[in-house]
Amino acid sequence: MNLSRLAGDAVQYLFVGIAAFLSVFPFAWMVISSTNTSIDILGGKATFGQAFAANVGNFFAQVDAPLVFWNSAKVAVMATVLTIAISSLAGYGFEMFRSKTRDRVYSMVLLTLMVPFAALMIPLFMMMAKSGLIDTHIAIVLPGIASAFIIFYFRQSTKAFPVELRDAAKVDGLKEWQIFLYIYVPVMRSTYAAAIIIVFMASWNNYLWPLIVLQSNETKTITLVVSSLASAYNPDFGVVMIGTILATLPTLFIFFVMQRQFVQGMLGSVK
Amino acid sequence: MTIARANGLKRSYDLNGWLFIGPSVALIAIYLVYPIFRSLYLSFYAGKGMMMKFAGFGNVVRLWHDPVFLSALTNTVVFFVVQVPIMITLALMLASVLNNDRLKFIGLFRTAIFLPCVTSLVAYSVLFKSMFSADGVVNASLLAVGLIGTPIGWLTEPFWAKVLVILSITWRWTGYNMIFYLAAMQNIDRSVYEAARIDGVPAWARFARLTVPMLKPVILFTTITSTIGTLQLFDEVYNLTEGKGGPSDSTLTLSLYIYNLTFRYMPSFGYAATVSYVIVIMVALLSFLQFYAARDRS
Amino acid sequence: MIYSRKGAYCALIGASLLLSTSAMAGEITVWCWDPNFNGAIMQEAGARYAARHPETTIKVVDFAKGDVEQKLQTALASGTTQALPDIVLIEDYGAQKYLQSFPGAFAALSDKVDHAAFAPYKVKLMTVDGTVYGMPFDTGVAGMFYRKDYLEAAGFKPSDMENITWDRYVEIGKAVVEKTGKKMVAIDPNGADLIRIMMQSQGKWYVDDQDNLTITDNPALRASLEVEGKLINAGVVKTLSGWTEWAGSIGSGDVATVMSGVWITGTIKAQADQFGKWGVAPIPSFSADGKGHASNLGGSSWYVLDASAEKDEAIDFLNEIYGKDVDFYQKILTERGAVGSLLAARTGDAYSTADDFFGGEKVWQRFATWLAEVPPVNYGAFTTEIDTAVMAHLPDVLKGEPLDDVLKSIEAQAQGQIQ
Repeated sequence: MNLSRLAGDAVQYLFVGIAAFLSVFPFAWMVISSTNTSIDILGGKATFGQAFAANVGNFFAQVDAPLVFWNSAKVAVMATVLTIAISSLAGYGFEMFRSKTRDRVYSMVLLTLMVPFAALMIPLFMMMAKSGLIDTHIAIVLPGIASAFIIFYFRQSTKAFPVELRDAAKVDGLKEWQIFLYIYVPVMRSTYAAAIIIVFMASWNNYLWPLIVLQSNETKTITLVVSSLASAYNPDFGVVMIGTILATLPTLFIFFVMQRQFVQGMLGSVK
Repeated sequence: MTIARANGLKRSYDLNGWLFIGPSVALIAIYLVYPIFRSLYLSFYAGKGMMMKFAGFGNVVRLWHDPVFLSALTNTVVFFVVQVPIMITLALMLASVLNNDRLKFIGLFRTAIFLPCVTSLVAYSVLFKSMFSADGVVNASLLAVGLIGTPIGWLTEPFWAKVLVILSITWRWTGYNMIFYLAAMQNIDRSVYEAARIDGVPAWARFARLTVPMLKPVILFTTITSTIGTLQLFDEVYNLTEGKGGPSDSTLTLSLYIYNLTFRYMPSFGYAATVSYVIVIMVALLSFLQFYAARDRS
Repeated sequence: MIYSRKGAYCALIGASLLLSTSAMAGEITVWCWDPNFNGAIMQEAGARYAARHPETTIKVVDFAKGDVEQKLQTALASGTTQALPDIVLIEDYGAQKYLQSFPGAFAALSDKVDHAAFAPYKVKLMTVDGTVYGMPFDTGVAGMFYRKDYLEAAGFKPSDMENITWDRYVEIGKAVVEKTGKKMVAIDPNGADLIRIMMQSQGKWYVDDQDNLTITDNPALRASLEVEGKLINAGVVKTLSGWTEWAGSIGSGDVATVMSGVWITGTIKAQADQFGKWGVAPIPSFSADGKGHASNLGGSSWYVLDASAEKDEAIDFLNEIYGKDVDFYQKILTERGAVGSLLAARTGDAYSTADDFFGGEKVWQRFATWLAEVPPVNYGAFTTEIDTAVMAHLPDVLKGEPLDDVLKSIEAQAQGQIQ
């Protein structure tokens, strides 16, 4: 191995090393800060302190953590199941049953990606209010079930779905919905895994729309609680850090558990 | 007989097509298309809160004379023009390094760099705010290393506030885009690279002449989604600046301005709707341009 | 149409039926921010009322302040009242905005509450066309909190801090920075808090009593901008961003003075390690004649939603506790540091007690005295917008651009915002 190649490797290591450090540092900061007092955190103290137990105690004294977690989980699971079911049907349908009209409808669907959410807020809220859904978790989920992005993602992935399988199934007399359910879904499971991660994370982390729709303490999700803690008259940053850790843990966990499926799913979508 | 059968097949094909996409199309019509038109309708009205009157193109005229709209527009364009290329380039470079089998611990690096995109906007903005506070850990480190002599006003000086917003978005999204490139690169046939290497093509040229052209569809896809994301930028600036877009409107984006016009200021729903249509038009134009540019070269 | 009018109507009726059964008779829902201040005080008020009226329960829901405002505005804008609480807390600066843009949304209280019993400046802020819409709550009567230890180190006695001018304040600031290395005051350039304090101390605001914009022809604003520019350019200011950092600068001991409303007392007293180190003086003035030392920052009031099913009960509740219960005001002062605007409350015992945290000074007494001197001003309906316009041009002031030009640009920007 020659010297220039070694030097090249060193540069590459340095590059990804710095990038990895910068990417991970805020997480380390979050963990370290959870053991410090509010003053130390804002003063830039980057070493472990002794305030962890106090911060945890204060957090659980101020927040009904199990309820808040249950709310977040409920919303995220509902959103994930419904979004994946409805949007994957459409992605499959747009690709498998192409026609001029449906292709036109598809381009319209893609156009909706361009509309900023800020433009939809007021009309959406009025609709939810008229249907009596304010302060319910289903109101958070409803507008996102048909997701243009997820439909696009499934349509792209469907291009890689072997048509022979479908033809064979047809010869065997399977109906279209049976083909979808018994052949497409199992074959595309890594695509589904990736979509599940994307939707779950987006929903768990969602902030603006839940903030508008939810009105009472009993329905609040974890992100709302964290932002509420961070904007009190006398916010305790140590307590806020406990909140951010708890808000981040589930998505972190899911990511680590399903990382492989995620990357495989991505591969499918860009082929 | 056969014609009838073919017709029956076509009908069943069509019926199935609509059945599969039906639920989604219906939901999109209710929860996206209807509100969009409702907003368009609102954009012709002006007034305080619910006291709205038909104003014709009054809101467009107001846009024209509104210095705040102008700075929101400028900021949004600056964020998009500066941030998207930086992030795409970084993500491409990281992906091509991580695509090198010779390096060890690739999985670890990849995981680390991807990690930021699991954080929620609230969590990550709280983290960044505390890290970039006047006496925060970032200023303290920079001072200790001797890179700066006085603390940087990350959130108090207009220029640095813009820098911080760009840093934040880049932190949150580079790894996300990188995964797309990495996935696409692993689909590229290795032998093409080997051949180029044997022919003596240097690494940077292999990157520029082989990798980038072959990734064009993915780069196009990520550029468009990033463009849409940056033009709609809201979460980061909202949480970093307590919803104000300060200091001195330096981080005010169009989406944040819409939010302010709706929720912080005397509510001007019609005017806010008008501003939101500016974003719609910009996104449409830019997406079209990017498609066009990508098509032209191939 | 997306769904039929009839269907929507049925859903609406269904929802209101559901709502009227689910909201039990006698449950009053209150929205506010800050669980340790407004929230806790409302709980206390609720407990007092419930003790006398067991059939009523007060349910306090707290969100971040921005969230309360945003939710209120969304619900009012959508024209649907079922999403709203019975009582909501609104900051005084925003009161006119809501009252003017959503007429009929809030219950008129003129005939139900004796508003003459409250500080006049508070009542003025909740009045539209002669009708009063709210129950005045806490005041933000302003004071200058200072670290005695820092100032002593710089060579100043507590008496040196009494009734000073802003120019003198800058002088003292320079000495403090030189001798102690601490800054004199913390300013968040995203917010116009100090400008607001300075302007109201001169009896002026961004608009006049007829809601006309007064920027270029406003000597009070000119003088305030000039002082803020002087302060920052003199290097005595710690600039930071956001409420959290600002409040943090008190706890970390980075600044020698805090210029704020009386409600900040709780935050200061929360710093147990700074016991006995703080003093209170009137805010500096623009003139040397001993006048213009009283001002205000923040403060908010309770409003009853007109569409509330529990409207009468909610009004009765507010009236009985906030309108009459002097003892209640003593308790929230002692426990939470809240100075109410009910004038009769000032004669209570708690107001004349000495506070050991401030070295035995009768701080509440002082604030109560200043409260009576706060010049009433009309905040108008556009404070947030004009604040933004003013602060957007602070960098120009710091660069030394002629103030008249700066005021002209501010006026141009504000004009574009307030139509």
